[in-house]
Amino acid sequence: MTSTTLPPEPRTDRTDRNRYLSALRSWRGLTGLALVGAAALAGLLAPLLTGTDPNAQSALALAGPSAEHPFGTDDLGRDLFSRVLHGIGTDLALIVTAVPVGALLGCSAALLAATSRWADLAVQRAFDLLLAFPGLILALAVTAVLGPGRWPVVIVIALAEVPGFGRQLRAGILVQREREYALAARVGGASRARVLLRHVVPNAVDPLIVQTAVALSLGVFIEGAMSFLGLGVRPPEPTLGSILSQSVAYLATDPTFAAAPLAATTALVLGFTLIAEALNRGIRR
Amino acid sequence: MRTFLLKRLPSGLLVLALASFLVFLILRLIPGDPATSLAGPDASPAAVEAIRAQLGLDQPLFGQYLGWLGRLLSGDLGPSYAIGGQVADLIGNGLGATAQLALGALLLVVLIALPLAVAGATTRSRPLAAVIQAVTTAVLAVPPFVTGVLLVLVLAVSLRLLPAGGHESLLAAPDLALQYLAMPALCLALPSAAVLARYLKDGIERALAEDYVRTATALGVSRRRIVWRHALPNALPSAVTVLGLQIGHLIAGAVLVERIFAWPGLGQLIEQGVARRDYPVVQDLLLLVVAVYVAVQLLTDLAYAWLDPRIRWE
Amino acid sequence: MTTVPDAPHTPGLPHAPDTRPVLRVSGLTVRFGGTTAVDGVDFELAAGDTLGIVGESGSGKSTTALALLRMLPPGGRITAGSVELAGQDLAALPEEALRALRGRRIAMIFQDPMSSLNPVLTIGTQLDEALRAHGGSLRKAERQVRAAELLDLVGIPDAAGRLRDHPHQFSGGQRQRIMIALALAHDAEVLVADEPTTALDPTVQQQILRLLTRINRETGTALVVISHDLGVIAQTCRRLLVMRHGRVVERGVTSELTAEPRHPYTRELLAAVPRLEEPSRAAANSTPGAEPLLTVRGLSKTYGSRRRAVTALHEVDLDLYPGETLGLVGESGSGKSTLARALVRAHAPSAGSIRFRGEEQARPARHGAPHREIQLVFQDPYSSLNPRMTAGQIIAEPLIAHGLGDRARREARVAELLTQVGLDPATADRHPRAFSGGQRQRIGIARALAPEPSVLICDEPVSALDVSVQAQVIDLLARLQRELGLAVLFIAHDLAVVRRVSHRIAVMHRGRIVETGPADRVVTAPEHPYTAELLAAVPRLAAVPHLPAAPHLEPARATTPGEATAPPARATTRSTA
Repeated sequence: MTSTTLPPEPRTDRTDRNRYLSALRSWRGLTGLALVGAAALAGLLAPLLTGTDPNAQSALALAGPSAEHPFGTDDLGRDLFSRVLHGIGTDLALIVTAVPVGALLGCSAALLAATSRWADLAVQRAFDLLLAFPGLILALAVTAVLGPGRWPVVIVIALAEVPGFGRQLRAGILVQREREYALAARVGGASRARVLLRHVVPNAVDPLIVQTAVALSLGVFIEGAMSFLGLGVRPPEPTLGSILSQSVAYLATDPTFAAAPLAATTALVLGFTLIAEALNRGIRR
Repeated sequence: MRTFLLKRLPSGLLVLALASFLVFLILRLIPGDPATSLAGPDASPAAVEAIRAQLGLDQPLFGQYLGWLGRLLSGDLGPSYAIGGQVADLIGNGLGATAQLALGALLLVVLIALPLAVAGATTRSRPLAAVIQAVTTAVLAVPPFVTGVLLVLVLAVSLRLLPAGGHESLLAAPDLALQYLAMPALCLALPSAAVLARYLKDGIERALAEDYVRTATALGVSRRRIVWRHALPNALPSAVTVLGLQIGHLIAGAVLVERIFAWPGLGQLIEQGVARRDYPVVQDLLLLVVAVYVAVQLLTDLAYAWLDPRIRWE
Repeated sequence: MTTVPDAPHTPGLPHAPDTRPVLRVSGLTVRFGGTTAVDGVDFELAAGDTLGIVGESGSGKSTTALALLRMLPPGGRITAGSVELAGQDLAALPEEALRALRGRRIAMIFQDPMSSLNPVLTIGTQLDEALRAHGGSLRKAERQVRAAELLDLVGIPDAAGRLRDHPHQFSGGQRQRIMIALALAHDAEVLVADEPTTALDPTVQQQILRLLTRINRETGTALVVISHDLGVIAQTCRRLLVMRHGRVVERGVTSELTAEPRHPYTRELLAAVPRLEEPSRAAANSTPGAEPLLTVRGLSKTYGSRRRAVTALHEVDLDLYPGETLGLVGESGSGKSTLARALVRAHAPSAGSIRFRGEEQARPARHGAPHREIQLVFQDPYSSLNPRMTAGQIIAEPLIAHGLGDRARREARVAELLTQVGLDPATADRHPRAFSGGQRQRIGIARALAPEPSVLICDEPVSALDVSVQAQVIDLLARLQRELGLAVLFIAHDLAVVRRVSHRIAVMHRGRIVETGPADRVVTAPEHPYTAELLAAVPRLAAVPHLPAAPHLEPARATTPGEATAPPARATTRSTA
């Protein structure tokens, strides 16, 4: 028996991290990163970029853009530049708190489902139950109990993300568990927990990376919708959704009022969506 | 087919039961005495007592739940405390408008998504593919409350093509009613249409890469027939599942859209109920939403089985 | 020497082939980006003639087949040469004109009958699609009659009644017959068959090959058969092309070429093909011990609910001695893999006992931990290795699981194992995708050897590999048995391979072991009719093609019981990936 030699080309053995990085380096990924990055930076640096108190009212109501107020002022004469930047900050703080919680809950449930048939049935029904309260309906149910505010927004976003993450991971585990390498690990003597955590789960997490980007955009969306209906963060604290809902009444007369919050919201959601798409393409390749 | 339905029905009913209990709990979870908060701050002790008796608040929790379910099933939804009138009448008044909106949106979803998906999956023109991709991404990225605002701005304020908001009875003045319906339905439909278009496009693309398409090509079947007759039927089952999930989003989106376009439907009612803490209205409407959702999921499963013979025969 | 019942060999000798070529391929070159997949292939095919193209994976044989209809996968392009069919160059024709020829003048059938038929359309609809693609004048009712005729022609029982059935209601062999029916819809002059029987069991393969031969004879359709299996070509084709690296290395009349190959590669290829006539080499390799290592008694496995139970194993008895190779043959669904998984305790059996060194294994009902000394080698070297782990990590997994050695000792052991299976220890940090199929199978073997087992269960270890690689892996397993005194249960569907490697052979059929005996005896003097049937189905290479004796070689409706029944409905999950 002779030793066979390896093929000369060590086919570009790209690591997984590299795969994501090169996916993000596509035009979609870069555009998405630029949009999210610019918005996030503006939101984080809001206190430095603007010296104006976002809640300080003045007599100059509904002014157009000027040197003093780059985005103009709202109906109460507050500086829109400051309000929009602080609004981005609030939005990001909310979704960055809520999305990881939702992801953690969903993934834990999926892992629990992998342990037994009964656990799987219970977890599936729990996901069905959450899905039966779609988006804003969930928001209405939660705020009916808790009233509007910051925490209801976090809770609604987190709960709304649970089935998305959970079902993705569960489906991935179901597919990967049937692959032969999982059986090979089991025959090799690995415990059930080791097979699941060391072999199956690492091969099932790819879609979760994409799901995270989708979830972040959904978070912006839910915050906006809740504020729009007056169920979100209490005024006068600015959020993108609350500024936007205020501006609707003045659309016909002062369309510039709506322009800045509209652009910021769109930039965030579009950015996250583009990042998700870029990652998705990278994974499928 | 019947066995398939029998297999799916129990889990749907279980979800409905669990959801109804959750919805029921809402009133008991609010801090303080439910009867007092329902009656409002200025109510007389007698009024509070009347409410307590009506809701059976002196009974054990599960008995209250069964009582509530029993009243619902017999059609007695009780009075609305804050908004006024009977809950059944309130829901009855809004149901028609919301149903018009939802069905109109559903129709638009399919009418927009199907051609976009087929064109996107089959076009050889790169610019067209890029445009379709860009449009669906953009529509997905813009939340419906933004789309709604933009639609009003462009179509109603600038171009003055359509009324900015309002509602007209479909029976009394069909043409005017459709004019009022067009913008809210479009606004509600767009995000779901974009989602469906993407799934369907991916599904058609996947199907076109399958071996059976190669078989059909080798038999000399024309490209058009391959797309519509061979690939599309394979992409439809999973697209129907996506559409089923999107109906949930249509229901939720209706709350927003009704607010933007002053559409007198159930969304406005439930929003009002939450704002004015009219819990009977909120509870009954939430349960209605869940019931509709569960029913839609069952229908989706049936449609899936009907479209995919492998499931049907299982 | 062999008393094997002789299957009617039907070499593709129709009427003396016409001299007028229907298909003339010259200088055909196909490129995928920078790589040349097919390099200047030329051949002629006379009307009604039969031509085989043989080669290993990567030889360009399938790309050649697809290029004949200009149906190359995305990225592939015919960069030079021509494919002339009845005077028209298919390589240069506009797409619409080409479409008018596909399925009408030149038709094609594909390897996988499971995925090549549309799962959501009825068979009747698919035949109707094929008919209406070119038959403008036929009305719907006429097409339906013709569809039933076609199904009948390829031997589907109750043809008219089954037009409304979907593909999943047919067995694999029947689906391949339906594929052929589709290709025959317009009496094409040329039928290209790309690995038409690779996905099928030997007995079903035999039926399909006879069907192809009968069709060639009855309809005068010229046949191009692409296969990796020289036996398949030898049985169906008068002439033969041998391809390697995109080029034709040798051509000629099949019987002459297989008897006297001239090109060294053809010689190599022929030498690597296991032949049923060759006696077992196992006795020369190792001598089995006297005490059985593994004793299986009355092992049964039932799946599904009590009402619709499917019996996968039925009271299987088996003994495996140290240093012995026991070959286990059977067709798909015979229970071979279920047995393998029960032996490594991946499944709990429903009844019966498994004793190892005379010791009773855990009660069947309890799901015991896998045994360190019984290890499994898998069929598919692609899906059985975790893509996220390096070769070294994969091999070290069983060591970690059984708590064998610390990190440094494990590394040394991994290096030792890699050397043992003929791989460079320096490759331990590479991921599976950096290895070829044969090399991956070596990694799989090294992993199985890691916990120092005494029993190695090999579940179709070579059936996914090219013949030349097959021979290397078989040699490796023999050497390991010699050096380590392993007991090997060698599961395969290829009788020739099994005879070569085994001391004894056990034949499985529908969950039962129907015959067990010394390897040479089972092949030369089978006792069970099913064994004889299996043996008859093996396409023979050496056999000199006789002229057909009877005009009808196969009754049109003949299907073995195994083929006629549809496979049990498979669970179709609808969870989206």
